Amino acid sequence: MPVFTEGNLRINFPIQPVKFDDPTSHGLTNCMKAVDFIVEEDDRILLIELKDPEDPKSSQVEKSKWIKKFLNGEIDEDLKYKCRDSFLYKWASDQIGKPFYYLVLVAIDSLTPADLLGRTDELKRKLPIEGPTGIWQRKFVNSCTVFNIQEWNKHLPAYHISRI
Amino acid sequence: MSITEIRLDKFTAFEKLKMEFSPGVNVFVGANGTGKTHILKVLYSACDITKSQMDFAEKLIRVFLPSGRALGRLVKRHKVSSRCTIEIFRANLKMRASFSNHSVAAKKATITGLKEWNNQKIESVFIPVKEMLSNAPGFRSLYSQREVHFEEIYSDILDRAYRPALKGPTGRDRKALLKDLQLAIEGKVMQSQEEFFLYNKQGNLEFSLLAEGMRKLGLLWLLIQNGTLLKGSVLFWDEPESNLNPKLFGMLIEILLKLQRMGVQVFLVTHDYVILKEFDLRREKNDKIDFHALYRDKETGEIQYNLAKSYLEINPNVIAETFADIYDREVERSLGRKG
Repeated sequence: MPVFTEGNLRINFPIQPVKFDDPTSHGLTNCMKAVDFIVEEDDRILLIELKDPEDPKSSQVEKSKWIKKFLNGEIDEDLKYKCRDSFLYKWASDQIGKPFYYLVLVAIDSLTPADLLGRTDELKRKLPIEGPTGIWQRKFVNSCTVFNIQEWNKHLPAYHISRI
Repeated sequence: MSITEIRLDKFTAFEKLKMEFSPGVNVFVGANGTGKTHILKVLYSACDITKSQMDFAEKLIRVFLPSGRALGRLVKRHKVSSRCTIEIFRANLKMRASFSNHSVAAKKATITGLKEWNNQKIESVFIPVKEMLSNAPGFRSLYSQREVHFEEIYSDILDRAYRPALKGPTGRDRKALLKDLQLAIEGKVMQSQEEFFLYNKQGNLEFSLLAEGMRKLGLLWLLIQNGTLLKGSVLFWDEPESNLNPKLFGMLIEILLKLQRMGVQVFLVTHDYVILKEFDLRREKNDKIDFHALYRDKETGEIQYNLAKSYLEINPNVIAETFADIYDREVERSLGRKG
């Protein structure tokens, strides 16, 4: 099973993922944002973004600053463009034959399910998941979910994440 | 002198319970029917009598309003005759009350330690779930003259609200609190002929036309302005979140924390995640906050209690458990399947 490291995190994949934000293979990271990984399963495409503000290499000030920005929604801007641009890239590559799911890991242990629920709902509104009634005929991403490591491993055991 | 401990034996829902309290903020969480409000009411009764000089058992009857005003109905139900005991402590001071399930009148209760207890006066306020200020006109006279079926906390809160402003200059801390509240309610509270009004640039707005949440903040403004909530006083607040927009919770918790820093002891019951989390996020190093988690023991069915010093230690946390359950179902729906 492929295993990748992203900063201080190790993630297992049940199938080979694409390291999507690699500047060389992506070719457009100068003007488009990109999620960390894309995985094409039999019936769905997973856009995976990993955020690790608790990386031991980060300073305490950096960590606190990041958590504050995450909780007040500032990080959502980055998260939403990563999702939209990654989808657009795949659309232009004519690779959108399956529904897309956007999975965001925020590796902060203290986040409670209530916090994760709040951030998930807000990100859904900002992407947005739903378009104007009667106008949008399809969704560009089916759904998005924000996890911490514990919840990620509980709900996505095949994509197990651990700290190095 | 703050309330330090309570011991209940066969009182209302409790078989046996001993709780110790923070001199700062005490937050009660637990499912419905775990006796949170009962604890607030019994503590409030014990505080109120130091000022009103009412008999403690009589105050319990008025605050709990048992059927037929029979004191014995406050004893936990058993198949055989039984007797309850209430012990409340303020450091070295202790008041003890005891009565049987056959007691009807207040005078049947045995109370000890009352003289010393009442020598140390303690100012207290109980803010009930239902807002009362908009019903104020005529209510107090009706309550004092007629046998109306209202728990006395509703009449008491109006007595506190009607108090005139305190003499002398307003201290810096109180001024700052009043200013914060004025910003939230966009005005000041005035009273005319038993009726409360919000006074601002647009003129006077009667309380019955205000949103219920605003009336609650207006009440808090009055209690700070008239000096009821000063150092050494005790505030009991049952579900401050009711009818208040969650956006105002942060400001409200900030005010409660500031009151605590001024020396007000606070007891509050909540069912709301945001209230708990705001305490967690806004607390400063020296703030004294205890979380009291009440729950029914799965085996015995009796009410038990765990003390937590921080939000994450609260156990069981029914509010967080509910969110965890919703989150799990949300993830399943979002992924369209498990995993």
